[in-house]
Amino acid sequence: MGNCIAKYSPLVWSIAKRHVQDHSAAEDIVQETFTDLWKSAKRYDPAIASESTFIGLLSRRRAIDFARKESRRPQLEPMPEAESLPYAAIESSPPLRCDSSDVRAALKELPEETQKIFSLHFDEGMTHPEIVEKTGLPLGTVKTRLRRGLIDLRNRLSRLDNAQPFSPASP
Amino acid sequence: MNDQDILSRFEELEAGHILGDLDPDEIKEFEMLSLDPRCQSDLSLELTASALEAEFLKDKDPDLPKKLLERLRKGMEEFVVDEPEDGAVVRPVAWQRLLVAPQTGWAMAALLAIFFVAKSFVEEPLVARPALVVNTPEAARETLVAKAGDLIESKFGGTERYSQMSGTVIWSDELQEGYMSLTNLPANDPNANQYQLWIVDPARDEKPVDGGVFDISTNDGTVIIPISNPLAVTNPQAFVITLEQPGGVVVSKQEVVVALAKSS
Repeated sequence: MGNCIAKYSPLVWSIAKRHVQDHSAAEDIVQETFTDLWKSAKRYDPAIASESTFIGLLSRRRAIDFARKESRRPQLEPMPEAESLPYAAIESSPPLRCDSSDVRAALKELPEETQKIFSLHFDEGMTHPEIVEKTGLPLGTVKTRLRRGLIDLRNRLSRLDNAQPFSPASP
Repeated sequence: MNDQDILSRFEELEAGHILGDLDPDEIKEFEMLSLDPRCQSDLSLELTASALEAEFLKDKDPDLPKKLLERLRKGMEEFVVDEPEDGAVVRPVAWQRLLVAPQTGWAMAALLAIFFVAKSFVEEPLVARPALVVNTPEAARETLVAKAGDLIESKFGGTERYSQMSGTVIWSDELQEGYMSLTNLPANDPNANQYQLWIVDPARDEKPVDGGVFDISTNDGTVIIPISNPLAVTNPQAFVITLEQPGGVVVSKQEVVVALAKSS
C-alpha cells in the first residue's frame, strides 16, 4: 500500500489540482481517492484497465464531483457522484488497452487537429472557452472534436485486444 | 432516426457527459436516451478519458506536499491490521471481510476475488499481499461489537412473503463495518437469484448504496452475513434486502423486497 501511495499519489494530486483550485480541498480529494482505493482494490480487475487508469478514474470523479458541488464550474454538466462509482459497470466493462504506449500510439492515429485539442484540454488543462480563444475554432467544433475524438480513441484502444478493424466515430 | 442513429447520438452525448460539456437541452436528451433499453453504456469512454488524463499528467512534477504524503500514509494505517503472531504482516480490512465469509457463494466469491486481486499483484501490486487468516463471521461480528464505539443496531422485519424471517443489523460508521444476523430467511438458488443488501443513506445519496450480494444456503437457523460496502456510508437510515438476479444489480428496481430495518 505504501508503494501504491508512492507510485500514484503524484498522479492523483495532479488530477485533483487540475480540477480544483483550492489547495486544501485538493488535498482532501487526494486522501478521499486513496480511501476509495483501499476500499475498492478488491474490485480492481487488471484485465479491464491499467492501475493508473483505474486510480485516475477514482480521482477524476472525486475532483469533478467536488468542483460541481462548489459550483466552480456551473456551466458544466455534473459527473455522476464520485461515491456512486458503478463497480458492476466496471466489472462488466470490456477490456481497454490503456498502457502508456497504447494510448500514445492510438493518439497518433487521430486527426492532427483532434490531437492538438486533446493536448490543450487534457495536457494543459484548458477549458472549452480557453481552447476556443487559443485556436479560433467555434465552440461547437471544439466540443464535437473532443467528443468524437474520445469515442474514436476508445474504439481504437478497445479493438487493440482483438485486432479488429478500427471503427472511427461518425463524421 | 434509426437504431444506429440513436446509438451514435447517445454515444456522442455520453462523451459530452464525461467531458462535462453538455448544454441543458443535451442533458435532457441524454437523460431521455439513457432510459432507452437500446442505449446501453459501459465505462469504456470514461476509462478512456481517465487514461488520457493519466497519460498527459504522469510525467509532470506535481510538487506533492510532504504533509499530504504523511496524511496518506496515516490514512492507510486504518486499513491494515497487525498480525500479532509474526508481527511483520499487515492485512487490509477489506480482505478480512472477504475471509470471514461463510461457506457457499460468499466463500466462492471471496476465493475468486482473492485470486483476481492476487493476480494483479504479480508485478506492481496495488497493496501488500495479505496474510490469509481465516476468521468466522460470528467472531468478526463479536469483535466489532467489542471495539466499535458508535455501533447502531436495527431489527429486520420481513415483508409479507418473508414474514417468517427475523434478524438484526449492526453497523459502525467509524469502522465502516457491519453484519447482518438473519434467521429463517429462505435459502436461495444462486443460479436463479441472490439476495442483495442496500444501505439507505440520504445524507450522501438519494439512491441506496450497495451493501453486498449474498446467499442463504439453509432454510433454518441464523446466519451472520458481513456487509460489503465498496462505497463509504456515513449515516445509514435504513437497510433493505432485495432479491435480485445472480450477481446483483447496480440499481435495484425493488421488485422483490425481502426485509427492511430502519435505524432508530
